[in-house]
Amino acid sequence: MGILSGALTARRFKVVGDVPEAFRDVYREQLGQFAFRDPPNEPGKAEIEGWVQTHNLLDASFDDLNRWLYDPYALFALRIDKKVLPANLLKATVEKECTKWCAEKGVERCPNAVKTEIKERIEDEWLRRTLPKVRVTELCWNMRDQWLVLHSLSESVADRVRKRFHQTFGLRLVPWSPLDWMSDEATVEGLLGTMPAAMQEAK
Amino acid sequence: MSPDGLPLLPHVASEFYLWLWWSIDQRDAVFDLGGKVGTITLWVEERLAFRHPNETKITAVMTGDRPDETLEARAALAGGKVVQDLRLHMRRDDREFTFTLKGAALDLAQAKLPQAVAGGAEALYDRMFLYEEVALVVGALLQEFARERLSDRWDAVVVPAIRDWSLASRLEAAG
Repeated sequence: MGILSGALTARRFKVVGDVPEAFRDVYREQLGQFAFRDPPNEPGKAEIEGWVQTHNLLDASFDDLNRWLYDPYALFALRIDKKVLPANLLKATVEKECTKWCAEKGVERCPNAVKTEIKERIEDEWLRRTLPKVRVTELCWNMRDQWLVLHSLSESVADRVRKRFHQTFGLRLVPWSPLDWMSDEATVEGLLGTMPAAMQEAK
Repeated sequence: MSPDGLPLLPHVASEFYLWLWWSIDQRDAVFDLGGKVGTITLWVEERLAFRHPNETKITAVMTGDRPDETLEARAALAGGKVVQDLRLHMRRDDREFTFTLKGAALDLAQAKLPQAVAGGAEALYDRMFLYEEVALVVGALLQEFARERLSDRWDAVVVPAIRDWSLASRLEAAG
């Protein structure tokens, strides 16, 4: 399900800013710069994001224009990876380890510093062997008419795409408004000035 | 034409959805929108979602075939709820579309497009053309609503007619 097939869900944005004359080469380079990169072998919990091809989320190279630029459209996706540990299992495991530590040391309570160290060690071990949750959101940018559709209605995804888009291209994504369909300012002002109509019968 | 990104006022979006629902009934599903759009056939299909006027959360959802004709949908209206999402089926020439309009931004969701080409660049061109076609029609419908909403007819004719329609169809649905 996405922009190329299946049911289409689309939030539309206006693209605001100047497109460089040699945009093909400039954008190829910028997409490459902000493409998804597999992290070095670090166990971090932080989310990792970057642009990928829509054909395959493992393909983060934009060198071949024919794979993502279909004049006037650019088609690519934001991939967001996040590792999540089962919180209840982590808590229980930490408590077990603390109890074991207390027994070994012959003390009743495990100091906070030790507990934190145990927790960080377990998190580190688990994160190394945990696969991330991977979310991919496709977008299609009409570069001629300067609008973009995002295949998601999630506010948080939209915020991330807008931020990364700005970092990558130096262009702003402004949510498109139904009021943009109105042909004159008076209608826009009129609609913005209305009070709710009494559509239900009086009780 | 709008201040950057400003959606419709929530009550205006709900009134637009209700006006569409009422207009479908009044016009036997046929809309002559003139200009580039021409004539389309439109009806409510599979899903109607309601909310309380002062909240954003959906509180009632009608699904199934022609949810607009159900007693529950009329009861939701009578209970003071307003339409938040509307799933529509549209026929334009020989092309059939089904899509949901959601909330005050009129976001397009779960749009089934009459795609003729699968795979590759041609599929993208085809899908974007069809997406633009839906946007063109929804824009024309909103323009027609806006003309009516801002005219003297709105308070004098349309609102009483929608009230009467809502009451009559509820009584009819109740048997």
